[in-house]
Amino acid sequence: MQPASIAAEIALDAVEKSFGNTPVIPPLSATLGAGEFTVVLGPSGCGKSTLLNMIAGLEPVSAGRIRIDGQEVQDWEPKDRGCAMVFQNYALYPHMTVAENIGYALKVAGIARAERQQRVEGAARVVQLGDLLDRRPGQLSGGQRQRVAIARAIVREPRVLLFDEPLSNLDAKLRHGMRMELSHLHRRIGATSVFVTHDQVEAMTLADKVLILNEGRIEQFGTPHEIYHFPASLFVAGFIGAPAMNLIEVEGDGTALRLPDGTALAGSAHRGRAVLGIRPEKLRIAEDGLPATIVYREDLGSHAVLVVRLGSGQEINVSTPLGGDTVAADQLSLHLPEAHVHLFDPASGQRLNVTQGQVR
Amino acid sequence: MIENTKSLDRTANVILAVGVLYILFPLVITLVTATQSFESFLQNGFSFIPGTYLLENIQIVWETTQLPRQLLNSIIVATMVALIKCGIAFTTAFAIVYFRIRYGGILFGMVLVTNLMPLDLRFITTYQVAANIMMPVNALLDFFGITYIVQTLTGYRMNFQVSVLNTYFGLAAPLLANGTGTFLFRQYFRTLPADLSKAARMDGAGPMRFLWDILIPLSRANFAALFVLMFLGGWTSYLWPLVAASTPEMQTAVVGLARLSPGDPGQIPHYPAIMTGALMVSVIPLAMIALMQRHIVRGLTLTEK
Repeated sequence: MQPASIAAEIALDAVEKSFGNTPVIPPLSATLGAGEFTVVLGPSGCGKSTLLNMIAGLEPVSAGRIRIDGQEVQDWEPKDRGCAMVFQNYALYPHMTVAENIGYALKVAGIARAERQQRVEGAARVVQLGDLLDRRPGQLSGGQRQRVAIARAIVREPRVLLFDEPLSNLDAKLRHGMRMELSHLHRRIGATSVFVTHDQVEAMTLADKVLILNEGRIEQFGTPHEIYHFPASLFVAGFIGAPAMNLIEVEGDGTALRLPDGTALAGSAHRGRAVLGIRPEKLRIAEDGLPATIVYREDLGSHAVLVVRLGSGQEINVSTPLGGDTVAADQLSLHLPEAHVHLFDPASGQRLNVTQGQVR
Repeated sequence: MIENTKSLDRTANVILAVGVLYILFPLVITLVTATQSFESFLQNGFSFIPGTYLLENIQIVWETTQLPRQLLNSIIVATMVALIKCGIAFTTAFAIVYFRIRYGGILFGMVLVTNLMPLDLRFITTYQVAANIMMPVNALLDFFGITYIVQTLTGYRMNFQVSVLNTYFGLAAPLLANGTGTFLFRQYFRTLPADLSKAARMDGAGPMRFLWDILIPLSRANFAALFVLMFLGGWTSYLWPLVAASTPEMQTAVVGLARLSPGDPGQIPHYPAIMTGALMVSVIPLAMIALMQRHIVRGLTLTEK
């Protein structure tokens, strides 16, 4: 198959959506780079599918502009926008064969049978479906149906590929395989891809950039590395990472961050109330540090996750490499490396230590 | 509740067997009587021993009654009812499910309400309208004073008269007016993945293309089921054809069948001929059910593979 047509940049300019009087997406602006793989990540009901449908043209925008490759498309029909979409439940036409499913868009576009067949076979080859072209969707496995859906999307050589939670109907093993294939496919085809999901693993592994959406608002838009290591808000901090980042309410006195009972957790020049965030795997077990009681232990083979209780009664997660030192103990003492401490404003949820702790 | 008790199984079987016998008994009587000659019937009355006069009886019915012509009427009317109903129901459901219509819910409610107002209930008004389908127009013109204005200006009193009584259209139209088919299609469309119509839009197919390429092929079983149900409904309806067709040439077979028994109470009815007529009237719907049984079940269960 031909290398795809030139990928297009998608610019969202104060795009808004409301159903009746219920605002779903307040004005939202972002630029998705040409050829980039952008994952829109958020909990269910955050408006991510609505956003995708608006880019596709399946859902009219309430206000604002959408530009694809510089052209304003918000009033265009879906077929004119150069987008193709892969749906969560595949949405294959049950009465058509695989070949007919893949070629339907070409048929509607009035492309001659010979060229159609050639392009269908090309697309089928890309997703390794070559020998299933005469089957019906009902005779295929979930993974194969997903491939048909992808072939149907790429056969038109779209400028933009849209994915609406395409992997959520697959079992865990298949999902991993499809993730890898999607990643390869993206590199080969090069179309700008927008991928909606609520699964952070998909977001972290597939994305060039992740757009985290919460109640229609962008919480953070950055590379997976930025998202994980420098979460811009409490929401992102709590949403990304498993086990989740520990979030502890502290009071800063200019020299240290202290628990309400006065125990110092880490040194900091911050003054006033704040929420301290630290990832479970960044906590160090130290000879002399913050005393904690182990209340629960989860041995995952590669590492162990401990739930420990601090002196103040708060429980936090500690992720440790499997070693002999914590196995038998029910007490340990923790050290919070200053470089890995994130600070958030308790009221606004915004990150406070912007320049601090830029550590891999 | 699922139980696997043997005694329960046996009881259920007995009850079913009794039910089957109860249903079959009149059918057996019909079948057997249709094979007997009038003479033997006069001597022996109803009997369970089949005779050999079926072909002769068919000949009698075919040559001496209006039933052949009326069978044709029935076929025409029932086919009209079934075809038009399928078309209307499909397009209505398409509009309700796939378009954002402002008062779609209310409209669908009104369609369903037709099921609460069967023809028998609005019989007299239906007859009045059929006797002059311009009646509502006249009433509206009267109501808005247009009749009066025209009469004052031109001296002409508008009063349009178009009767559809004793026509095929008049026979079929009132039988069409119920929402079952719309309901059936709507429920079916809602079992289809919602993304299907989105996928078609992404593929560049407009609403009509989607209807033609995707929805109609997927709805085949439903069409078959609805067609058969509506055909049977049109075929077996009695009261409306009885009053809407005033000449024997326009009556349907079911009405004609009832007319086979003599008007004179003193005369002994030619039961073998009547039973033969009943068989002839039943053959077409029976054959239809037998042929389409699989589709009917598939079209009514609303399940996906």
